[in-house]
Amino acid sequence: MRTEVKIFGYLVPFFALATGLYAYFTEPREWVGIVGLLLTTIFSAFIAFYLWITGRKTDRRPEDDLEGEIADLSGDYGHFAPYSWWPLWLGLSIAAVALGLAVGWWLLICAAPFLVISILGWTFEFFRGEKAV
Amino acid sequence: MVAVGTMVWLGSEIMFFAGLFAMYFTIRSVSPDMWADRTEYLDITFASINTMILVISSVWCQLGVWQAERGIPHRTGSLLNVKSWGMREWYVLTYLFGATFIAGQVWEYATLTSEGLTPTADSYGSVFYITTGFHGLHVTGGLLAFLLIIGRSFTAKRYTHAQATGAVVTSYYWHFVDVVWIALFAVIYLVG
Repeated sequence: MRTEVKIFGYLVPFFALATGLYAYFTEPREWVGIVGLLLTTIFSAFIAFYLWITGRKTDRRPEDDLEGEIADLSGDYGHFAPYSWWPLWLGLSIAAVALGLAVGWWLLICAAPFLVISILGWTFEFFRGEKAV
Repeated sequence: MVAVGTMVWLGSEIMFFAGLFAMYFTIRSVSPDMWADRTEYLDITFASINTMILVISSVWCQLGVWQAERGIPHRTGSLLNVKSWGMREWYVLTYLFGATFIAGQVWEYATLTSEGLTPTADSYGSVFYITTGFHGLHVTGGLLAFLLIIGRSFTAKRYTHAQATGAVVTSYYWHFVDVVWIALFAVIYLVG
């Protein structure tokens, strides 16, 4: 993770400097830009910090090793759904609910139960009974 | 994997709220007189107590996360024995605190509306209800996510790593809306 931490870490002094220069040349009156640049500085630091914390908790990855091989990446990556129809139903019911906001409350009320069923179906798909992951 | 993906999504959520903050500051900068007048309506004591409730709920959430990471889905002892609580009990407590916060928001909205501060009254009303309202919707979404995470721990036979991951990323989201509220509270109530 060291490279990722560096990429975002180097952005912090850059945006800090940019904030200072921007504030100086706009004679601190244009607040939206100053706040925007300041937040960009903070967010870069935030991502660098998060990657650093994650890197400390996880083992060194093959891509961190100059001598690493593609084959070293094989192994367990966690749980992924082999296939699932629920996202389709979820998408369709969200579309109907959003359309209901524009067309009328009657459509939203008709579509809402489908949204509830889709969310429950997707969330619980692999977390039921004996075969739960 | 799921944790990093959640963080990327929360990054886009931050940009969404950054847009709302930009809106707030921009409209405020062009109508300072309106701000001086309208912020008089806000009940800072009430909002401070409500803020404390949300911040404390984040603490309960984190205690639940630690139990999830240890693989303890539910309590092993009596309900009164807090040390034996698992993820489920802490998340129920988090839910109750979060629901109290939302109830407080509804109360505040009702009070302000009765005093004439409505979303359509003026631009202050608009930005106040849009910023706090979108945050309130996020908290409500988080509450529903807690219900799903708690529900999952009942339906599955074992408490697995995938289950714990779901609980952990829900806590990321909860801490996120908590931090956003602290910023909103500071900007709307304290900076005035």
